[in-house]
Amino acid sequence: MNPADGIDGAPLPEAAWLAALLGLSDMGPRRLLLTLAGGGGEAAWRAVVTGRLGHRLHPIGRRAVELAALWQREARCRDVAEEWQRYRDASVGVTALGSPGFPAVFDDDPEPPAVLFHQGSLDAIAGARVGIVGTRRCTRYGRDVAFEIGAGLAAAGVAVVSGLALGIDACAHAGAISVDGAPPIAVVGSGLDVVYPKANRGLWADVAARGVVLSEAPLGTSPARWRFPARNRLIAALSDVVVVVESHEAGGSLSTVAEAVARDRPVLAVPGSVRSPASRGTNALLADGAGPAGGVEDVLIALGMSTGAHRRAAERRPPVGAATAPVLEAVGWHPSTTEQVVLRTGRSLGEVALAIDELVRGGWLSRREGWLERVSADRAGLVDAPANAAQPGADSHAE
Amino acid sequence: MLAIVSSAALSGVQGFPVSVEVHVSGGLPGFAVVGLPDTSCREARDRVRSALLSSGLEWPVRRVTVNLAPSGVPKGGAGFDLAIAVGLLAAIEEIPPESIASLGFLAELGLDGSLRPVTGALPLVDAVAADGVVVAPDNVDEARLVGGDGVRTVATLAELLTVLRGDAAWPDVAAAPAPPPLPPLPDLAEVRGQPVARQALEVAAAGGHHLLMIGPPGAGKTMLARRLPGLLPPLEPAEAIDVTRVWSASGATLPPGGLVRRPPFRAPHHNVSPVALVGGGHRSMRPGEVSLATNGVLFLDELGEFVPQALESLRQPLEEGVVRVSRANGSATYPARVVLVAAMNPCPCGRSGAPGACRCSDAARARYHRRLSGPLLDRFDLRLHVHRPDPEHLLRGSPGETSASVRDRVGAARVRALERQGCLNGRLAPAELDEVAPLTPAAVLLLENAVRDGRLSARGLHRVRCVARSIADLAESSAVADHHVAAALEFRLPVLTPESYASAVRR
Repeated sequence: MNPADGIDGAPLPEAAWLAALLGLSDMGPRRLLLTLAGGGGEAAWRAVVTGRLGHRLHPIGRRAVELAALWQREARCRDVAEEWQRYRDASVGVTALGSPGFPAVFDDDPEPPAVLFHQGSLDAIAGARVGIVGTRRCTRYGRDVAFEIGAGLAAAGVAVVSGLALGIDACAHAGAISVDGAPPIAVVGSGLDVVYPKANRGLWADVAARGVVLSEAPLGTSPARWRFPARNRLIAALSDVVVVVESHEAGGSLSTVAEAVARDRPVLAVPGSVRSPASRGTNALLADGAGPAGGVEDVLIALGMSTGAHRRAAERRPPVGAATAPVLEAVGWHPSTTEQVVLRTGRSLGEVALAIDELVRGGWLSRREGWLERVSADRAGLVDAPANAAQPGADSHAE
Repeated sequence: MLAIVSSAALSGVQGFPVSVEVHVSGGLPGFAVVGLPDTSCREARDRVRSALLSSGLEWPVRRVTVNLAPSGVPKGGAGFDLAIAVGLLAAIEEIPPESIASLGFLAELGLDGSLRPVTGALPLVDAVAADGVVVAPDNVDEARLVGGDGVRTVATLAELLTVLRGDAAWPDVAAAPAPPPLPPLPDLAEVRGQPVARQALEVAAAGGHHLLMIGPPGAGKTMLARRLPGLLPPLEPAEAIDVTRVWSASGATLPPGGLVRRPPFRAPHHNVSPVALVGGGHRSMRPGEVSLATNGVLFLDELGEFVPQALESLRQPLEEGVVRVSRANGSATYPARVVLVAAMNPCPCGRSGAPGACRCSDAARARYHRRLSGPLLDRFDLRLHVHRPDPEHLLRGSPGETSASVRDRVGAARVRALERQGCLNGRLAPAELDEVAPLTPAAVLLLENAVRDGRLSARGLHRVRCVARSIADLAESSAVADHHVAAALEFRLPVLTPESYASAVRR
């Protein structure tokens, strides 16, 4: 059978050749462009197989010869048609740069992806989009804010773009799908059949069902370290505005910010406590001139979509009793320990523990690893409170 | 000619009586020790011979057989030297046989004829089947704890000879000097802030509950743990003898006066082997750290760094209060009633100062926590996070309550528990709980909620009720109220196991 033909005898589309090329070891977007040398995927593949890449790889430098040999060995034992069938079986769409279905947003991008793999519908990219990014090691405050902004934007018809990582990313998407609104967009660093991190499997599936999950990596690609900055560049390129919720001093979200700045996208940062290491990066961004994002409203203004007065959700939590109010007051808005609350209130541990139990149960406080954090607003599903855990809400998505 | 002398040997922390039978007969000159002696025991021949010659005596040019009865039990150590020498002298009629009839002998001999101390003098003296016992001067304090006025001592073999021949009276055993005042223990008043951890220590002391402290380096975990022995009431005389027996048998240095009067505090390093922790050994069965800490505190710092087998071997002793060691050449039972206090960092980087500050990957944290098995964590009734205290409390805080006043409360709570149920609250059986720890309706509701939320298992429920009982005892309350239960729940924070960590992250 002619390898140029598909299973059913029809010629393979350009995307199949590009996907096969991307599947070679250590093949990134830049090397792919060099290999193509302006020509088509099929010609490039044949050049690889026959070892006639010539001078195309010269700009790579010393590894050029070694890579050409490696790719030739790999390409010889691969069947492009068979690999293409895997994409069809996994219902993963493949779009090549320059082909009609390719998202227009990348048209004038300095570093567009050569090929986009996607699960879900690319139509999700049509409307206004806001990237919400942040650290995996976030605080309860960051999770709450990410969830609120995610939910608020989706409700206002703005698609939330994020990376499906743990922490802020996951909370932003959990918020976006907690309301009936704009479809979520996720950009991941691994192949679309390699769910990473595994904890987000459910959320991943929900995003793909409601919106789209995009990747630059072919099927079977494990999440290598270099793929995350590359992924961040796509998030920046896809976003009309980038919001950083929480970031450590040298967090990965700052690379998204750099990419956004390079593309003239406005960057907003959520102000945090000056004592919180998880807010050090965002506070530094504010100092550098990023706009403050205090809520959905600020983001909508940055998008030029300012609406009328934003109505707060009605408070559904049980009112705080007179006996427990001083304990809630003593926890304050910074993460506190039971110990600090005992010292601040001067009450016995037993009384404080009773009050804390009541407040956690009511959704006013959350507790993690011995730290108490005050919950700003009623976040039904996200609250640790066991009374709310049974509700089908964001919690089930975040699992 | 035959002479029989009383002595004793060690098996675990108990002694057992041994008769040293010395037979001198004609035939080729020689010296044999039978009755399963170990090497140091067999070498007695050379020590005894030199000691005799140094003391101005002749070595009999005859055939000497020494039997250590019961001959089927392995025996070790140099403690039979004196008994063999005395038996030999009696057998060749250098001393009158009746002079040694009611005496036991326990000492090692130096080549110059001096008497040297033996390991385990206390259990050995306890086991000797005779009215009086002769020990080395350095063993006198220890021997008198159980031997009383029957303890005799001489400095050398030559001196012993004159006494046994009737040429001199037994030298006076110096009356035991009043035990010197104990050096002060670190006081709880030095701990600033930390109200929750202080109370946890108090509850651990009152109920004999095991305590796990999780916190970043510098939070004061070790400082707190070192103050626990000072909160325990002083040892009862019988407990003190029990502890001293173990210490003596293991060869540990005894305090001046010979008696361990204070609850012991043992803090083995985290590279301790399972055998060193629970006891056993290749030839001699020696008690481990958990037995040396009996009636006191066993402190395991950096719990996550211990060899997993060593930690797992602690499970049965913690449950039963005794260690049963079985080896090919015998088995032994050691006491192991300890309050276990353990400390560990929340994660390998130890930086969890505030939420979001940790630099560890999920996998690294999971690996760190996987070293602790669920069953072992289950043994800890009290688990709490210890945080670095605020600087203002460190520098300007008033000193806390002193150990002495906490100790009074702990003592009273222990008395309440012992009068009520005959054991500490940490050892309460589930069946007894309803009777001895009645709950108020509000407390029942609180526990019901905790079980329904999945915060407590059935076993956890039982342990929380035991801890609540201790808290109520400290507050001199006969019923267990809701704030007692709330505090007990606060002391049982979920410890991060890999599973629970994953669920905490995705929230």
